[in-house]
Amino acid sequence: MIKRVEINYRGIFQKTLAKRIGGDIVIIASRMGKVGFSNGRYSDSPERNGIPCKYFAFVSPDLEEEELEAECGAKLDIDEADVSVVVDDTMVKGVEPWGWHGVRPINEKVVEKGCLLVVSRKRHDELTRFTARTPYSYRLATIDGDASLAGLWVFKDDLTHERVLGAIAAVDPAIIAIDAVEAYLLAKTKQEHRARAAREAYDAVLRQTSVVTPEQGIAWPHETPELPPWHAFEEGAVVRAPARHFEMGPGGQSRNASFKRGTTKTLRPVIRFDLCISCTLCWLDCPDECFDPVEGRLYDVSYAYCVGCGKCADVCPIPECIVMVDELQFDSDASPWEHYRSDPDGYTRWAEEKKGTARYAYPHVTGTGFEIRERESVAPKDLG
Amino acid sequence: MAETTFIPFEKVKTVRDTPLEEMYTSGHRTCQGCESAMVMRHFSKAAGPRTIATGSTGCMYVANTSYMTTPWIIPWMHTQLGAGGSSAVGTSAALRALMRKGKIAEEKINVIAFCGDLGGGDMGLSGISAALQTDYDLLIILYDNESAANTDIQATGMTTYGAQTTFTPPGTKHRIMQHRWKKNVAPMLAVGHPTCRYVATASATYPPLDFHNKVRKALSIGGPTFIHTFDPCPKGWDYHPQYSREIGELGIKSGIFPLYEIIDGTVSYSYDARKRARTPVREYLVKQGRFAHIIDEDIDYIQSMVDSMWNEWEIPGVAPFKGGLEPAKN
Ligand SMILES: Cc1ncc(C[n+]2csc(CCOP(=O)(O)OP(=O)(O)O)c2C)c(N)n1
Ligand code: SF4
Ligand code: SF4
Ligand code: SF4
Ligand SMILES: [Mg+2]
Repeated sequence: MIKRVEINYRGIFQKTLAKRIGGDIVIIASRMGKVGFSNGRYSDSPERNGIPCKYFAFVSPDLEEEELEAECGAKLDIDEADVSVVVDDTMVKGVEPWGWHGVRPINEKVVEKGCLLVVSRKRHDELTRFTARTPYSYRLATIDGDASLAGLWVFKDDLTHERVLGAIAAVDPAIIAIDAVEAYLLAKTKQEHRARAAREAYDAVLRQTSVVTPEQGIAWPHETPELPPWHAFEEGAVVRAPARHFEMGPGGQSRNASFKRGTTKTLRPVIRFDLCISCTLCWLDCPDECFDPVEGRLYDVSYAYCVGCGKCADVCPIPECIVMVDELQFDSDASPWEHYRSDPDGYTRWAEEKKGTARYAYPHVTGTGFEIRERESVAPKDLG
Repeated sequence: MAETTFIPFEKVKTVRDTPLEEMYTSGHRTCQGCESAMVMRHFSKAAGPRTIATGSTGCMYVANTSYMTTPWIIPWMHTQLGAGGSSAVGTSAALRALMRKGKIAEEKINVIAFCGDLGGGDMGLSGISAALQTDYDLLIILYDNESAANTDIQATGMTTYGAQTTFTPPGTKHRIMQHRWKKNVAPMLAVGHPTCRYVATASATYPPLDFHNKVRKALSIGGPTFIHTFDPCPKGWDYHPQYSREIGELGIKSGIFPLYEIIDGTVSYSYDARKRARTPVREYLVKQGRFAHIIDEDIDYIQSMVDSMWNEWEIPGVAPFKGGLEPAKN
């Protein structure tokens, strides 16, 4: 028997976190007398900031180490998972990683009665409104918390790692048991609060697990683009460029249709077109060419391609004009400018509702956390 | 004083006059906030549709070529890690031969080869040197993210002193593992190739349009030309991607990355860090996780090196000679 765990994480920002979780599952399982094995998904390397990636851990009570490795080593991806961990809840909208094309459901690998385990402050129905419908039931569990984002060199030690281990023990004790998790953390770190964090997450997750039935979730809206197989390469390994095209207006710039990269974002820029002074900076400084110049010297944004870097919001000189908002608040990638043009007041009200009053503030060095601040006061007339 | 050569070129005067059309478009796999992607975007915008680009192995190859798709609208070809210079020469030579033989119409087609700091500034230096001694019209852009970024951030000859990389992890005995001072590539090429008419340094976003117009100048002056860009890399430098522009601006305002053009041997500063009060390098360094381990002493050393660059060098920020200029005494 093999138990399979996959850890879905944001490239670079959560690389160390995912690796530590995967590695520790193996050590804890081996202390329980089982055999374990963990590895990263081969095709994810080299990772880029934000890109959805995977780390795997496999545990078996009866196979020899070589047998387990032969079964699970060097795979492009796994076919099924007993537990799919998601350490940034915005990935429930779907993931389009490095070596794949097309947006895939986050619960694609979860087996019947398996578990989707998400670090999230959202209610379960706020997550299942994005996940794909399945022909069978599986479990959904949440660990209360924000996505723990760190940089390549500075790890954010906020106990997410310990809490995920405790939660895995809760949703599938056949992988690792909570007593073994606690004992391991204590022996390794001599710090009781780490073992306690795992135990608390264990208790909380037992309460916060629900069953997702075949009626819940959505019919998956994304198609997998059809790409020619390797033997259909043209002479000289030529790849066709996107056709040259530009006109003013939404989608007026031709883009790479076979790889959109919108699932990279955790936040998206919401634009108040009525506040815009047409300085061009958002358009000029976007590293992903996401802005479409439109009439009236405004700039529409193509959310399907936006990676949520936040640069446009940072360079925009007008307060509250571009604000980064939680990606899970949005169902559609449709042009915000079309919305604004057809109903300016309605759009502005909608944008303010989405923005709310909380603002994400990130320090420069990534691994040092973030703050949620109250919006700075802006004249009420400007807020529509 | 020498007059700077007048280069007739189509200058983009205001940001609003920047060409709207993209020649490198959405749908690439670079990191959130990647400034090297900004170099790709803006050089191709500045050069326009009649351009052929070649790119050495590195992030700007790997992250821009996902299976059977491309963000390039202009023709682009991958070339080997150290082959930026030779690919530019080969492409220009082929175009010249095809035009001479009447196989393609006579017209100006820009040839631009880009390479990373490892691929260009370390490995490919001899090829670039050879290219700069030819009479072909070509532009080589060295996009410098200060590491072998694609292979997960190893130190190169251009990594800032003290920075953490996969090759230079701080330890308990040795805090600083990157001991080398940044290689001064652009001036090395200018000094070594007196007939090369245009060598410049730039940053894709700051000051706005500076890089864009430098690309246009390099392509207009003719012959082989070279631009070295300074590209903050949120992954390797470890800062939140939203601050890419700010980090670039700080690098220039602190004087750690000098901005200038050398046209027919005359140096002119695009940002004169001699005259303007330089921002302390501390402000630039503390905003990046790759310097999280360094201490005041290290910052003081880096500051003293930067000050020396601007206060003591014969050609401030460019050439590390310190006067003398007397007949040898022994
Ligand atoms: C001859 C050779 N050696 C090593 C490699 C592996 N390799 C691929 S990309 C890369 C790093 C290139 O660094 P740089 O030129 O600075 O570009 P960047 O990735 O930083 O954009 C290396 C070492 C290779 N492709 N070819
Ligand atoms: S957040 Fe803004 S700058 Fe970043 S990719 Fe999206 S639109 Fe572009
Ligand atoms: S940066 Fe802000 S003000 Fe400037 S054009 Fe963009 S939305 Fe308008
Ligand atoms: S590692 Fe650096 S240079 Fe490479 S894609 Fe990421 S930000 Fe750009
Ligand atoms: Mg590099």
